[in-house]
Amino acid sequence: MIPHFPPTESTDPPWIHPRAAYVHIPFCAHQCGYCDFAIATGKDDRISAYLEALEWETSRWKQAQKPSFLGTLFVGGGTPSHLNPGQLARLCDLLHHSLPVRLGAEVSMEANPESLTAEKVKLLAQSGWSRISLGAQSFSRGTLKSLDRPHDPTAVRNAVTLVKEADLAVSLDLIFGAPGQSPADWQADLGEAISLGTDHISTYGLTYEKGTPLEKRVRLGMVRPVGEELERRMYSMAMETLGEAGYEHYEISNFAKQKKRCRHNEVYWANEAHLGFGMGAAGFVGLTRNLNTRDLERYIRLCAEGTNPAFQSETLGPRERVIETMIQNLRRAEGIESHRFFLQTGFEPKAFFKAELNPLLGQGFLAQDDRGFRLSHEGKFVADAVMKRLIRCL
Amino acid sequence: MANNDLIRNFSIIAHIDHGKSTLADQFLLKTGAISQREFRSQLLDGMDLERERGITIRMHPVTIYHQYNGKTYELNLIDTPGHVDFTYEVSRSLAACEGAVLLVDATQGVQAQTVANAYLAVENNLTIVPVLNKIDMEISRPEEVKSEMEQVLGIRPEEVLGTSGKTGQGVDELIVALIERIPPPQGNPDDKTRALVYNSHFDSFKGVVIYVRIMEGRIRKGQRIRMMGQGTEHVVIEMGQFRPNPTVVDELGAGQVGYLMAQIKKLDDVKIGDTVTDAFNPAELPLPGYKEPKPMVFSGLYPSNNNDYESLRDSLAKLRLNDCSFTYGPENSEGLGWGFRCGFLGMLHREIIQQRIERDSELELVQTAPNVTYEILTKKGEIIVVDNPQKVPDSGQIEEFREPFITINFLIPSSNIGDIMKLCTERRGLFSKTEYLSPIRAMVTYDMPLAEVIYDLFDKLKSLTKGYGTMDYEITGFRAEDLVRLDILVAGKRVDALSTIMHRSTAEVRGRRMIKKMREEIDRHLFEVVLQAAIGGRIVARESISAMRKDVTAKCYGGDVSRKRKLLSKQAEGKKRMKQVGQVDIPQEAFLAVLETGE
Ligand SMILES: Nc1nc2c(ncn2[C@@H]2O[C@H](COP(=O)(O)OP(=O)(O)OP(=O)(O)O)[C@@H](O)[C@H]2O)c(=O)[nH]1
Ligand code: SF4
Ligand SMILES: [Mg+2]
Repeated sequence: MIPHFPPTESTDPPWIHPRAAYVHIPFCAHQCGYCDFAIATGKDDRISAYLEALEWETSRWKQAQKPSFLGTLFVGGGTPSHLNPGQLARLCDLLHHSLPVRLGAEVSMEANPESLTAEKVKLLAQSGWSRISLGAQSFSRGTLKSLDRPHDPTAVRNAVTLVKEADLAVSLDLIFGAPGQSPADWQADLGEAISLGTDHISTYGLTYEKGTPLEKRVRLGMVRPVGEELERRMYSMAMETLGEAGYEHYEISNFAKQKKRCRHNEVYWANEAHLGFGMGAAGFVGLTRNLNTRDLERYIRLCAEGTNPAFQSETLGPRERVIETMIQNLRRAEGIESHRFFLQTGFEPKAFFKAELNPLLGQGFLAQDDRGFRLSHEGKFVADAVMKRLIRCL
Repeated sequence: MANNDLIRNFSIIAHIDHGKSTLADQFLLKTGAISQREFRSQLLDGMDLERERGITIRMHPVTIYHQYNGKTYELNLIDTPGHVDFTYEVSRSLAACEGAVLLVDATQGVQAQTVANAYLAVENNLTIVPVLNKIDMEISRPEEVKSEMEQVLGIRPEEVLGTSGKTGQGVDELIVALIERIPPPQGNPDDKTRALVYNSHFDSFKGVVIYVRIMEGRIRKGQRIRMMGQGTEHVVIEMGQFRPNPTVVDELGAGQVGYLMAQIKKLDDVKIGDTVTDAFNPAELPLPGYKEPKPMVFSGLYPSNNNDYESLRDSLAKLRLNDCSFTYGPENSEGLGWGFRCGFLGMLHREIIQQRIERDSELELVQTAPNVTYEILTKKGEIIVVDNPQKVPDSGQIEEFREPFITINFLIPSSNIGDIMKLCTERRGLFSKTEYLSPIRAMVTYDMPLAEVIYDLFDKLKSLTKGYGTMDYEITGFRAEDLVRLDILVAGKRVDALSTIMHRSTAEVRGRRMIKKMREEIDRHLFEVVLQAAIGGRIVARESISAMRKDVTAKCYGGDVSRKRKLLSKQAEGKKRMKQVGQVDIPQEAFLAVLETGE
């Protein structure tokens, strides 16, 4: 990803004109118990065809638009690090040609500890990558097992070291509320993530999505989810522990050291435009959300035929825009910034949400100042419920 | 114009589902009023709700012609509803007739509404033509049922005919019996005009359509008529008969049945039971008319969304154009805002009205628990009519709290007598008598408070008797009882729309049950919700719904936003039919918690 200097740039605001791109690599070595992402396992023989399809889709966009240089590029999955070095090199190459980034851009890749080798890290560093997000989930053998993750704790430590040595920013994903996980286990996970010098930590409360192996085990009574009270306590521990360690709680599930926020995800939470490429990827351009097919073969075939692989497209009306912007903005520490929200949606948020805003402020779930309003500490535990109340104002 | 001797007017009456409308189909087919091609079952049940539920709700008059002994007879028949809520339709139909076909399902035997409707016919001095219907069915037991008819109604077995609405068997013979047994109408076409307004409906194109039975004299198109009760005058612009489609005629004479239109805009401008006479040559005295039915079941109807109040008002007004038997007036509840207190003839009527409003207007409604009308005699000697628990004054001001009582008849298998007696005793019933229709069937009569009947007695009866029991009731008057108002407090505040009136002896138990049920129905909130039941300020029960502790989606990236928006929006809408009281969302089910019997 050798950065380019931008030529003439679009003057459209960032919620209309995209300056961020997401690229999806669906391949994984195996399916984790809780996973409901767009993935493909046991399909490694299709990687090369997939990269070809991706090349077509990304370059097609480049031809259609006047060249635009990206501020952030995020390659997620699936497991991008599951690609072998040759495939990875080809991916870097095709992205370099069709999705040029500007100087100082944030270029991230998701990786799993077991597949991130020294060779791959080196390749990424040389190709201009700036940030690796590691799917660590836990440092406890028991927790990893209950989540059906194939790696062991040492792999995580090794991977972090590799990334740090290559001078790339490193982020860790951690899961709490896994079956059988105790508060002490969770505290240990947090402690280890801090002591490894991680720049950024995402903490996710485990959810049992319909159709996942783990959800099925819950239904059959083989696994018992931790209670609401324990989940709440673990979330609270994360806020406290990471806060003390100097991480800023800048989004409901995300903590970052100074200047280490994930700018790509901030685009989502600002509800700004972004491109999406690859199977199951979502794009949001010019007020239209596009979703690509989640079927691997279909994606490959459509691209090979030169057909748009989107299977769903929805142009948002003002009402939808207001709700989505509110839902995304409230996730951030900044919350809803009145002036920007007004520019972006056409509605003054405090007036718009007045009916519910005052009771929610009174009950202590929201806090406000003259810049806008945001979730309070208490509000973060029940963010969805707060959003639902605000939605009612429509 | 038809000669009186060649006219026969009759209603078909029976217990619900005994086959009135299906038999009416046979009359239409046999007399050629409709062709096989136009035919569909229960053709006269034209309303969408009638077709959907397979029951008759309104009366349906139709004129047919039949050749007999070389003469053409005009037969005016009225298909009537069988359900107890619509008895008023039956009594109005009967007043326009000289005879009644009393149908009894040969597999079911005499049922509660068979008895009730037969008595109505007798009161109206009608000639009853008794008919056993559904004789095509293998399980029919004609001899037993005939003897039940003899036992309860004094009908001689040899008078009873047999028909099948399904196959048409016996229908020709029935038509002959009708012509021979029912007397022709009496009135003289040359007397001063008197016509009974026995029904009306609202046609969105033509306005009010009035259904008349001419008793004496005649009515012509273009004639200036006077409504004797209302004192209004109109010019007849169209008249005709339902054959079954509206068919224009120029004149109707004494004995005939038909409709007329006179540019009347609102149903309320026409009083059912009024007498139509000639404006220039009026009759001296009006016909006796009807007693208006009094709605006995009331409940509050509120739009889920406060902004829909006016749309609700409009659709109630529109509905009332078609059904004068329900009443409504604006009411304000502290908790629920603006809505309407509506009065209905019974629970089925209430259900149907609500369904029609929701359907016609696409409004989402919340209704409060139904209650009957009460009377309160205050210490000052005034009588307050209470159709809404909110109107109950402080107990210190009450001298007497009165509630409506009914006489209720159950027709049940004798083996269930014990169960029914237990059921009635639990509901403050006073035993009156038992009569045997046959060794295996009995009629049990009780005096009971109406309030104990409206909720679920019918369902209980059906389940206790495995569907073989039926009931019918009649209001007898008001009696003083030890009644109290049970209040419900949500988050410490009394919610007026949840108050109910009940007997002191059951209030505590029911209060406890009620808030237990509410606890199940109300979702958790961001804060703890305390529910309490109170009688006269004394808390008798308490439940609490704990606050939601965690509700947050961990991950939410680009592609998920629209999905999440849809999910949250759907959840925010919540259960259908919900009302926000203070900060608490109360779903429809919770408003009806008082109906919970705890079984
Ligand atoms: N086998 C048989 N079934 C019949 C006969 N008459 C009616 N039915 C059936 O009995 C049911 C009720 O018939 P309806 O004609 O709607 O009864 P109804 O008395 O008009 O009912 P309400 O108007 O609701 O009081 C329907 O399913 C009919 O098909 C009959 O003579 N033989
Ligand atoms: S590695 Fe990630 S994407 Fe792949 S199966 Fe596991 S959780 Fe899902
Ligand atoms: Mg019928």
